[in-house]
Amino acid sequence: MRAIPSLLMAVSILALSCGRAAPAPAAATPRQSNRYELQLGKEVFQRYCVGCHGDTGAGDGFNSFNLDPHPRDLGDPAFQRSKSNADLADAIRRGGAGVGLTSLMPPWGHTIDERHAAAVVLYIRSLRR
Amino acid sequence: MLAFSPVKNALRPYRAIQRQYRRIGVARAPSMKAGEAYASRPIAIQQIWIPEFEDRIDRCTTCHLGVADAAMAGAPQPFREHPATVHTPRDFQRFGCTACHGGEGLATDERDAHGNTSDAPSPILPTDLIEAGCGRCHMADSVRDAPTLSRGRELMAKSGCYACHAARGHEDFRSEAPPLDALSMKTGAEWLRRWLSDPKAMDANTSMPNFRLERDEIDALSHYLFSRAVPSELRRAIETAAAEPAGDAVRGKTLFAESRCISCHTVDGKGNGSAPELGKVASRATRPWLLAFLRDPQAFNPRTRMPRYNFSDNDLHDLVAYFEDELRDFDAPANILEPLRVKTRLAERGEKLFKTAGCFACHGGVKEGERFGPDLYGIGARKATSLDFGRRSDLSRTLTAWLAAKVTAPRSFASGLKMPAFTFDAGQQRAVVAALLAMAATPVPEPYRPAVLQQASLVPAGAIGALISRYRCLSCHEIGSRGGDISTAPLTFEGSKVNRDWLAKYLTVPYSIRPILPERMPILHMTNEDAAKLADAIDMLYVDPSIPDDPFAGHPESDHDAAEGERIYTTLGCRACHIIGATGGYYGPPLTDTRTRLKPGWVFHYLQNPQRWRADVRCPNYGLTDTDALRLTAYLETLSAPPAGAKEKIR
Repeated sequence: MRAIPSLLMAVSILALSCGRAAPAPAAATPRQSNRYELQLGKEVFQRYCVGCHGDTGAGDGFNSFNLDPHPRDLGDPAFQRSKSNADLADAIRRGGAGVGLTSLMPPWGHTIDERHAAAVVLYIRSLRR
Repeated sequence: MLAFSPVKNALRPYRAIQRQYRRIGVARAPSMKAGEAYASRPIAIQQIWIPEFEDRIDRCTTCHLGVADAAMAGAPQPFREHPATVHTPRDFQRFGCTACHGGEGLATDERDAHGNTSDAPSPILPTDLIEAGCGRCHMADSVRDAPTLSRGRELMAKSGCYACHAARGHEDFRSEAPPLDALSMKTGAEWLRRWLSDPKAMDANTSMPNFRLERDEIDALSHYLFSRAVPSELRRAIETAAAEPAGDAVRGKTLFAESRCISCHTVDGKGNGSAPELGKVASRATRPWLLAFLRDPQAFNPRTRMPRYNFSDNDLHDLVAYFEDELRDFDAPANILEPLRVKTRLAERGEKLFKTAGCFACHGGVKEGERFGPDLYGIGARKATSLDFGRRSDLSRTLTAWLAAKVTAPRSFASGLKMPAFTFDAGQQRAVVAALLAMAATPVPEPYRPAVLQQASLVPAGAIGALISRYRCLSCHEIGSRGGDISTAPLTFEGSKVNRDWLAKYLTVPYSIRPILPERMPILHMTNEDAAKLADAIDMLYVDPSIPDDPFAGHPESDHDAAEGERIYTTLGCRACHIIGATGGYYGPPLTDTRTRLKPGWVFHYLQNPQRWRADVRCPNYGLTDTDALRLTAYLETLSAPPAGAKEKIR
């Protein structure tokens, strides 16, 4: 009994480390099992992101008109193709300034945890047009 | 007999399921080695045993083998990885499975484990009601990360469920429904008849349910309500008001808008909706009553959330003149506010009805042991076989179906039932059912009970307490663990946050700090004297001792470098959300008048971790060093409001 969870853990760690070695293709449609995470991502997105990025992620939130450069259109397929999940999570964590872009996009790494950031990435993927 | 048991064991369905898991594991394994680990898994019952938590033995993982296995993300059930939640994967071993999900932990067969039978003691919770599981341990009204449960609990309190039903933790519940003593001087027989036949149709904001009264019952209740003696002070106040002169409706209209009444009320549906609709108020209440009520609402209902505005007599006359001119039901018959000539026999019958129909539970106050409906202790743990489905043969024989029907159509079960009809939409119904399902028979053991924060009231007695009560600060603001959260500004540490002089001025002419928020704080027409008293009290009482008066004390002079602070302000991109001078974003509060409004200690404290002030603050935590936070504070403290006479507000 005791051995089972640690075995599972070992398997999952293995799975994770292998997953990192080969870049995972960005899932365009969220899997069924991710419904909960997707909902979570939507909630976090609506709390922190819509003010600038807008409800649909098109970069048209009410505050976007005060910003130069304009917030990113997150639904743009070209943008979605050009960024891996890790890129997106990194930009969320470290902000625009952290990834060589505008500092008007703040860093969220001290405010939302890894899981919430990953959920937001998942949700952003669902915004692709 | 014994010879059969190994055979029986070999045929148990979980064995086939575990063999299937091996195959899926091998197929999904990222490496040969991992695949071998799946292939060589022993076939055996798995369990999580937690003796100290109601002696829980959960064998769910016998089939749900992949719950903690990242390789099983998206795998077919029962193998799928458990989605990450606040408690998973961290707390599998602490809570097991059934603590949140329900179901029979000991069973190793799907039917028994999920409890899909009507006599199952604990059927598994459907996914859309899963937050009921949170509520077994989390007893607070509002539970973070459980919005459905929190909404259900809020609805139950608002709808007055606890006035009739006893429930753990709500023993002292008192409804906010008004006492009806002065009703005969407030409204007329025709209005009351319409109200009693369908309250929601008369005022969409009311939380009063529809009792589906018969015509003769309405008559009897009306005669009783009009027969009640009006308390002498209220009678005097209303009679005095009757002799007062008419006012100026045009000025009243302006005053109505300025006072921001629709921060709580609505006019023709526009407004907040937490207080009565006023679109037809002059056909609902008589002029003298309106005048007397607006002069002192709390005399009419001590539990009302309405503040006592500091209106002058002229203000009141003008307001009510406006009501009579514009806020009335133009289709109503002329006699809508005419009183009733009381017939004693009917009134006596009505008095009985007032008790037997349960009106008194909300409109009079109910004492312990006097509750009218069946108690709700353990309702979430009732077996479906113990429930009376009555006429409802259409329902599936489950507790959730029974509760859902009870909540929306309580009288459909049998004739003679008394519970009134609440109008819940599907989402509200689900929320209330989740809240009910969370009402377990026994509380969870102590170590599993998160502390319900209910501190002592922080409102002082005496003159200051009277002012806070008069202006009903707690209707919108939190102070400690009390009060409403309509306002985004809790007052618990307001004294550490804002400057006393700014506050005294703000209280007389309040405005929304953040440009995107509508003007909401009512202009209470507070006297300068009251405002000064309140500002002094807040400055002295509502302070956080961990916030320094002088954040720069003990730090080197270089930490006070405002120029460096300005550079940090630019580098961090604060202007994306904040206005300074003529530019900046509309998200956060303008910072042009920081020095006038905010204390430096608070600015420093806030910059170190904005969420410390309020967990849902959107301002990101930048993880600033003390030095950077101090320099930024030094910069912001150079910004003060334009000198007196200039425009005060930035919009």
